[in-house]
Amino acid sequence: MNAQALAYFAAGIGAGLTIMGGAAGIGRLAAAAMEGIARQPNAAGDIRGAMIVAAGLIEGVTFFALIVAMLLVLLK
Amino acid sequence: MSRLLWLLAAVEPAAEPPAAEGHSPAEVLMHHVTDSVLFRHVDLGPFHFEPTKHLVFFIAAAGLVLLMCRLALRSYQKGGVPRGLAAAVETMVIFIRDEIAEKNIGHDGRIYTPLLCSFFFFILIAALLGLLPFPVYDPSTRRFTIVSATPTGNIAVTLGLAIVAFLAMQYAGIRKFGVIGHFRNLVPPGLPAWLLPIMVPVEILGIFTKPFALMVRLFANMLAGHMVITVLLMLIPLMAAIRGVFGIAVIPVSLALALFIMLLELLVALIQAYIFTLLSAIFIGMFAHPAH
Repeated sequence: MNAQALAYFAAGIGAGLTIMGGAAGIGRLAAAAMEGIARQPNAAGDIRGAMIVAAGLIEGVTFFALIVAMLLVLLK
Repeated sequence: MSRLLWLLAAVEPAAEPPAAEGHSPAEVLMHHVTDSVLFRHVDLGPFHFEPTKHLVFFIAAAGLVLLMCRLALRSYQKGGVPRGLAAAVETMVIFIRDEIAEKNIGHDGRIYTPLLCSFFFFILIAALLGLLPFPVYDPSTRRFTIVSATPTGNIAVTLGLAIVAFLAMQYAGIRKFGVIGHFRNLVPPGLPAWLLPIMVPVEILGIFTKPFALMVRLFANMLAGHMVITVLLMLIPLMAAIRGVFGIAVIPVSLALALFIMLLELLVALIQAYIFTLLSAIFIGMFAHPAH
């Protein structure tokens, strides 16, 4: 395996791990928000707003990692 | 990392009309998402311009925002009751003023509403422009090309937005506490003295990581959406290269997936505009009301 093959390998694994982390984070967030809305439908608006912000933060961190994975492929 | 970021912000070297074949998928993908010269040889008097596609779409988005606001204003001047476009714009402006600015900055948040509205409408319209294909005629090469680009998919543009957000945060703190008070507020009062060597660098870093996160989030979101759409559409030639039938078979799948991602991008455009505006407001609020 040469260096470029290793880079592709690392990028694939990195992208997969990134998505796993992001999915776990957003999944837990959505589960908690759903539960909150089910318990207290009155607060649905506030909970949804807070959920979107937190999802955006998680997504941002996920994108940091994805860009690093992309670097491994695009920079030869 | 800095090399790719630089690559994504920089302009592709002006290659003469590219050869029709011999492009690897990565090259096609990079050509689609990086900036490249759109019009060669635009001469205005003694000046020579080579506008790139992100620049052209940046100006178009900014012009559309200005036009939209002028049209919305006209409706007020005529009857006083907004209708049509003005009613839609008013809804969003009032949402930004009441739900984003005043809720997160406090009652003096009203003065930041124009800034936050500019962020919101510019990011929204820039992202929506990137989803439309535009036929562009370049008179110097006498060729039509189909161009679609998101100016916010260029890290230089989001850097500019983040710098404005950064200045607004510092302004908010300095306006309220003065220069010295603003920087003294970085560390919460009543902190043990031995913690200061740790807390001061961390807090100074915190000033810069906030706009940095804003910058990378917006840039990566816009870039990733376009990359996914391109990759899905590129499945067709990639499969056709293996065998022609495969290429034809993958067309409906590829188009359906690309359409789905495009619909998702509509949602992402709204959400990213909202998040950038909201986080700017929250960060401004953090400097205006530091932890006690």
